[in-house]
Amino acid sequence: MSEYTIALAGNPNTGKTTIFNDLTGSSQHTGNWPGKTVARKEGVWRTDGDVFHIVDLPGAYSLSAFSAEEVIARDFIVEEGPDAVIVVVDATNLERNLYLALQILEMTPHVVLALNMMDAAKAQGLHIDMAALSDLLGVPVIPMAARAGKGMDALKAKVAQIARQGHAARAHPDQHFHPPIRYSEPIEQAIARVAQAIDACESLRDRYPIRWLALRLLQEDESCIARVSALPGTEAVLEQAREETGRLQKLYREDLDTLIAEERYTWINKLVNRVVQGRPQGPTLSDRVDAVVTHPIAGLFIFFGVMWVIFKLSTDVAAPMVNWIDSFVNGHFAHWITDLLTLAHLNGTWASSLIVDGLLAGVGGVLAFVPVLMFLYMGMAVMEDSGYMARAAFVMDRYMRKLGLQGKSFVPLVLGFGCNVPAIYATRTLENRSDRILTGLLVPFMSCGARLPVYVLIATIFFPVYATLAVLTMYILGIIMALLAGLLLRKTLFRKSEESALLIEVPAYRMPTVRNVWMEMWQRTRAFLEGAATIIMGVSLIIWLLMAIPVTGDGVFADTPVDDSAFAHLAGAISPLFEPLGFGNWENASALISGFIAKEVVVSTLAQVYHVPQPTAADVEDLGFFHQAAEAAVSLVQAIGDTIKSLPAIIGLHLSPPAQKGNPPALMTAIRQGFDESSGGHGALAALAFMVYVLLYSPCVATMAAQRQELGARWMWTSIAIQLALGWIAAFVVFQGGKLLLS
Amino acid sequence: MLHAILHEIETASQPITLHSLSRKLNVQPGALEGMIQFWVRKGRLVVDEGLGGASEIRVCGGRTCFRACPGPAKCPLVSDPLTTYTLKHS
Repeated sequence: MSEYTIALAGNPNTGKTTIFNDLTGSSQHTGNWPGKTVARKEGVWRTDGDVFHIVDLPGAYSLSAFSAEEVIARDFIVEEGPDAVIVVVDATNLERNLYLALQILEMTPHVVLALNMMDAAKAQGLHIDMAALSDLLGVPVIPMAARAGKGMDALKAKVAQIARQGHAARAHPDQHFHPPIRYSEPIEQAIARVAQAIDACESLRDRYPIRWLALRLLQEDESCIARVSALPGTEAVLEQAREETGRLQKLYREDLDTLIAEERYTWINKLVNRVVQGRPQGPTLSDRVDAVVTHPIAGLFIFFGVMWVIFKLSTDVAAPMVNWIDSFVNGHFAHWITDLLTLAHLNGTWASSLIVDGLLAGVGGVLAFVPVLMFLYMGMAVMEDSGYMARAAFVMDRYMRKLGLQGKSFVPLVLGFGCNVPAIYATRTLENRSDRILTGLLVPFMSCGARLPVYVLIATIFFPVYATLAVLTMYILGIIMALLAGLLLRKTLFRKSEESALLIEVPAYRMPTVRNVWMEMWQRTRAFLEGAATIIMGVSLIIWLLMAIPVTGDGVFADTPVDDSAFAHLAGAISPLFEPLGFGNWENASALISGFIAKEVVVSTLAQVYHVPQPTAADVEDLGFFHQAAEAAVSLVQAIGDTIKSLPAIIGLHLSPPAQKGNPPALMTAIRQGFDESSGGHGALAALAFMVYVLLYSPCVATMAAQRQELGARWMWTSIAIQLALGWIAAFVVFQGGKLLLS
Repeated sequence: MLHAILHEIETASQPITLHSLSRKLNVQPGALEGMIQFWVRKGRLVVDEGLGGASEIRVCGGRTCFRACPGPAKCPLVSDPLTTYTLKHS
C-alpha cells in the first residue's frame, strides 16, 4: 500500500467541492490552515489498495499571493509538493479559469485538468477541442459534468496514474521542467540567468521549482524574497534577480508583474480562440436590445416611456385602492373610533379632537397614498430586477456629462429619484470636491418618492384626465431644472474638472421574479409606513396642537375655529409670499412649511387644514360593526377588481366602460375651493404652480442634514437659497405666465 | 491585452460597459473581470460599488444621528447600485 497527496485547486464556483465530495465520500475532516482563518478540508480516497490524501485548496483566481487564499494555495503546492494537482476548470469560463491553471503549470508538471461543467458549455453551444487543449497545456484534460457524476471515473483513473508518476519522481525531482508558456525573449533570457544562479545555489536548488522561483524573484514577490534571504548563500541569486528586474523595467518601462500577467493573458486568449468553437461572434439578442435601449435618442424615449407606465400605474391604476383607503379611513374606521371614544366618554373632548382631527386626518391622509407608492416601488423593482435600471442610468449619463459633471455623477442623481438622502451620500464616491458639491446641489432637483403623493393628490383633483402626464411632467421638469442649474453653476461657481474615464458593470438582462419584486416593494413600503408612524405622526400632532390653540376669537383649546388658531396665524404670516404664485392662503402655506420636515407631510397637512368634519354618529345609519366590516370587505374586493380592470388602460385598452364619477371626496372639494379662492378663480394654474414649487423648493430636513454633513453648512445654505429662489421663480412663471396665456 | 483595457477606457468618448469591452477585445466576460481585478489591485482602476456595502444610511446633525433610510435594501434604487471602475491617472 502506498500513500499519495493530491491537491485540488480551482477558481471559486467551479464545482471543486462536488469533485472533492465524490472522491472522499464521508471520510472528510475540516480544520483551519495553520495561522489562518481559512478552512482546510481534507479527505481520503482509496483505490487499488493505495491511499490518496485529497487536500481541498481554497478557491482562488490566481496565485499572485494577494489574498490569504492565494498564499495558502501557492505555499501548499511549492512547499508541500503534492504528488499531483487536480485543477478544476469551468468549461463555460475557460479564459478566466486558465489563468490559475497556467500558474499551477509553472509550479509543477504533475497536473490533471478537470474540465468541469461541460454540460453547461454544450448547452451554450460551445465546442472545446480536448486534444488540442491537452496538447497545448501539456497535461491530461478530462471532460466532466461533476454534478451529474459524469467523467469522475476517467478523472480518478488519470489522477491515480499522474500521482504515482509524481511520487516516483520525488527522489529525483525535475526542477527544470518547462511550462507550456514561453514569454518574450528578454524575459526568457532573464529567467534563464536567474535560474542559472538558483541552480548554482545549494540551499535553493532542490527546494523550489527553479523556473517558478526565478520568475517570482524577477516579479519582486516580497514573501519569496524573504524566504530566499533567510537561507544561506542566496545573496548572489537575489543580486542577479535585482539586476535582471532593473534591466527589464528599463527596457519595457513597466513593472515585471504587469508584463508577466499581460503575456499570460495574451497566451491564454490565443489558446482559447484556438480550442473553443461556438463562441458568439455576431451580436447577441442582449446586444441588439442594448443597441436600442441605450441609444442616445431612442433610449431617452424608452426611459420616459417606462416612467410613463410607472406613473400610469401610480395614478390611474392605483386610484380605486386610494379611494377605498380614503373612504375606509374617513368612513367606517373614523366611525368606529368615534364609537370607541363615545364608549370611553371622550367624545367632544380635546382627546377626541387629537385622535380624529390630528392623527386620523394627518396620518390617514398619507396612508391613502400607500398604493401609489407601492406601484412606484413595484415599477422600480421591475426596472432593477430586469437589469434595465443600469441601462437607464447609462442613457442618462450622456446628459449628465453635458453639465460637465463626471461620469460617476449620474449614480447619485439617479438614486435621487428614490430618496435624496442616500443620493447625497453617494456623492462621496466622486473624487473631485467641486464635482461632489455640484452633484450634491443638483440631487434635490430629482423628484424623490416622497413627493409623488403630493403630485398625485393635486393632479387627481385638478387634472383628473391628465394626472399621469402631470406627474411625469414634474419628473421631467426636475431633470430639466437640474440640467439648467448645473450649466449655470458650472459657468459661475464651479470650473469644469477633468473628466475621468469610466467602465460600467451592467448586469445581464433577466426575467424579474415575483418574489424579488414583492420583497423589494414590500421592504420599501414598510420603510414608508415606519416613517408614517414616526415623522408624519409627530408632525400631525404638532400641527394639531398649533391648530388647537386659539389666538383670536372666543374659542377654547381644541375647540376653536381653525382660522383663529395659532397655526393659521403663523402660516398666514408667510402666505403673502405665495400670493403672486396663486396659492397664497394660510392653508397652502402651512402645508409648504411642514414640507420642510418631510415632503409626504405636505399631504397630511393639507388633509388636516382642509379637514372636513366627518358625519356624526347620528348622521350615519348604524348597521353594527360586523355589517360595516362586511361592507368594507366587499368594497375592498370591488376596488381590487377595479384596479385589475384598469391595468389594460395603460395601453389605452378599456375592458369596461369608464366608471361613473361620483361626488369627489369632501377633502378634494375643499382643496379645490381653497386654490380657487387663493388664485382668483385660476385654481388649476395655482395647483400646477404649487406642484412645481413642491418639486423645486428646499429639500426635507434629512436631505439638508445630509448636505451639511457631506458638503458643509455653507453649501447646505446655498442649496436651500437656490432651491427657494428657483422654486418661487418657476412657480411665478407658471402661474403668471399661464394667466397671461389664458387671458 | 491588459493595456488594451486601459487604452479602451481612456480613449472612449463616453462610459463603456464591461460587456461591450469584452466583445471589442474578444475576451470572455469572466476573463475580462479577472483582468480588471488585476488593475484594481495595481491601483490603476478604482472600483466603486455605490452604496451597496452600506448597512444603513444615517444622517447626523451636531451630536444627534438618525436613520434616514433603513439600509440599501429598503431605499429605493439603492439596493442595486452600479459597479463602476474609474481610471486613475498615474
